[in-house]
Amino acid sequence: MPLNPLEVVRLIEDNMKRYGFPFPIPADAIYSWAKPLGLPARGSPMLYTGALYQLMPYIASIVESLAKIEGSSVSVMALRVSRFLPGFLTGLVVKPRGEFQVYSESILRSIVKLLKTSGVNVAYPYEGDLYSGVLLYDLGLDELFREQALKVYKALKERGATTVITVDPHTTHILRSIYPRYIDGFDLEVKSYLEVLAESGFKPGYSIHRDVVIHDPCLYARFENIVDQPRNLLASIGVKYLEPRRTRRMTYCCGGPIEGLAPKMAKAIASSRLKELVEKSKSIVTLCPICYSNLKAVAGDDIEIIDIALLLSGEKS
Amino acid sequence: MTLKLDSLRALDEIYKALDDNILQAALSRASYNNQVKVTEILASRPEIASLAIEVREIKRRSIMKLEELIDQAISSLKAAKANPYYASSVEDARSIIGRIVGSNKLVILSKSMAAAELDLRSYLESQGNEVWETDLGEFLIQLEGVKPMHTIAPAVHMTREKALILLKGKLKIDVKEDTIESIANTAREFLRSKIIRADIGITGANALAADTGTIVTVENESNIRLVSSIPPVTIAIVPIDKIVPTLLDAVKVAIIQAAYAGLYPPTYINIVTGPSSTADIEQTRVYGAQGPKELHVILLDNGRLNAKSNPLLGEQLYCIRCGRCSFECPVWVHTANYWGGPVYGGPMGIIWTAITIDPIEAGKLAYLCLQCGRCDESCPVGIRLSYILRYLKTIAISGSMSKL
Repeated sequence: MPLNPLEVVRLIEDNMKRYGFPFPIPADAIYSWAKPLGLPARGSPMLYTGALYQLMPYIASIVESLAKIEGSSVSVMALRVSRFLPGFLTGLVVKPRGEFQVYSESILRSIVKLLKTSGVNVAYPYEGDLYSGVLLYDLGLDELFREQALKVYKALKERGATTVITVDPHTTHILRSIYPRYIDGFDLEVKSYLEVLAESGFKPGYSIHRDVVIHDPCLYARFENIVDQPRNLLASIGVKYLEPRRTRRMTYCCGGPIEGLAPKMAKAIASSRLKELVEKSKSIVTLCPICYSNLKAVAGDDIEIIDIALLLSGEKS
Repeated sequence: MTLKLDSLRALDEIYKALDDNILQAALSRASYNNQVKVTEILASRPEIASLAIEVREIKRRSIMKLEELIDQAISSLKAAKANPYYASSVEDARSIIGRIVGSNKLVILSKSMAAAELDLRSYLESQGNEVWETDLGEFLIQLEGVKPMHTIAPAVHMTREKALILLKGKLKIDVKEDTIESIANTAREFLRSKIIRADIGITGANALAADTGTIVTVENESNIRLVSSIPPVTIAIVPIDKIVPTLLDAVKVAIIQAAYAGLYPPTYINIVTGPSSTADIEQTRVYGAQGPKELHVILLDNGRLNAKSNPLLGEQLYCIRCGRCSFECPVWVHTANYWGGPVYGGPMGIIWTAITIDPIEAGKLAYLCLQCGRCDESCPVGIRLSYILRYLKTIAISGSMSKL
């Protein structure tokens, strides 16, 4: 039975008001990955993750719970009850997927390393690395989104950011193209780390000779015009990238944006896309943690899905 | 009899569709074939993409001065000896058409989403008329008793096996071979017997030229030609968003609609200005030659002028109904028009449902939208469908039309 979308939206709204995140997550789980790196807490350019990579291990486990509810015959009722008993759903989601958490954190550390190699030293806001509110915007919770956007903007500004470097397509898009519509006088320069690396003349001094198929995320390809940069970066270290049938500006969605609202549909979309990617290679490069998580959920063990940061930094070769 | 949308019930239908393997295979094949066809058309004929940009501008300007164009179209239709009517609502349109048709008539329809918006077939049947769809896909839909599953390919979910069962079961006609040709032939023979005797023919329109009152339709089956020329009385239902300034503009709209639907060159473009006539005797014009003696044109509003005042919903009025957004949508390819409303479906369909039926219920269905933007990228007239769908979500969650 399908989930009632409005009930899921209300759950996210409740969580947001309660925890400052769309799903319950311990505050230090957002920035603990950065502690060993000794990055300054003020300055510019400022690396801002918007917590998406860190949230994905939690979201993956919540989606699993939602999929179970969706698969049962009591879905709409169960979710209705959850509004009065918030523990019912939130209790299910406390545990993030451990291996996924390790993976996400290693990606973030790789990104810092890649930037450093290219001569870009970033500051990091630690507890100011707030959630960007991207899901609130996508779900039409405009007032809550506006409040969150103002909080993020303030946190970045008061830590001295003039340029913000983002790490995923959703946060890049929301900061660069949506925040200016909600915040008067928004004046941060926003760049994805892939753009920063491409502009800095990324030359890591090693090569990785292998074939992969590239899966463009929708927001980079269609909304932020980040299409050639990842390709040039891969080519610069000798990676041969193959193009799936639907690619670049006409790339095909991984299903991720509706994984919490209609897990079954999201899986069907992910499977269609995976099939198309695998026709070219069993090694798939993703540029977005949501794509990674959704494709991974439907891929067999013989298929490797690699985040571009790990490939570029030579950690997965 | 009023068409309504219950989003939770629609979600149940969508989930049933997800489990229907035959439907899933049919949709996946149809969307793949359509994507390949449109890509080929655009790659081999660069003039199409430039014309699409021109059509985008024509539509933008037309909607901006829509009220003015409506008045001009009404005068031009009268000058062409057609009978124009303005219908504000579904009820208005039904009662106007009901008065023209009366009862105990044989009525033939060419596939028209505007007629579906009026649930016209059921309405006319309830008035004691015999009513037949003449487009093959729509005819099969009529026999099956479901809604059109795509705006230009209503029977996109249909297999030859299912079509055979419908023809045999509902019409008691024995189809000689189980080939698609044989099915098409059987339908042709059956429908010909109706077309030739029909009292009334009802079509939609791809565009209406305000300067001449000309109705332009584009098709490949030739059924619109027959429906608009054989019966003595014809009716065209024209949603007001289809009015453009000139006849040349109207033809451009039809060409772009066909190309982006994957049908190029189109087999037929029909241009109809008023009823048929002859001036062969004494150069004196009389109406009713081989074509109809009477042409009635229903200008259908049904929420459109209201939508125009909203900057985002108003953009949907540029839509030329090519249905490309559906074929390109990762969600639609798993749901067909079950994701939509009682009439329309897919990205453009959810928005048309919001305009013509219920923005809040449509907004609840918009929650299945990925915001992936393939529809925005594909739309020949540049409608920002994913932005409008997100806006519909804000309406659904707040329970009211929020300020933009």
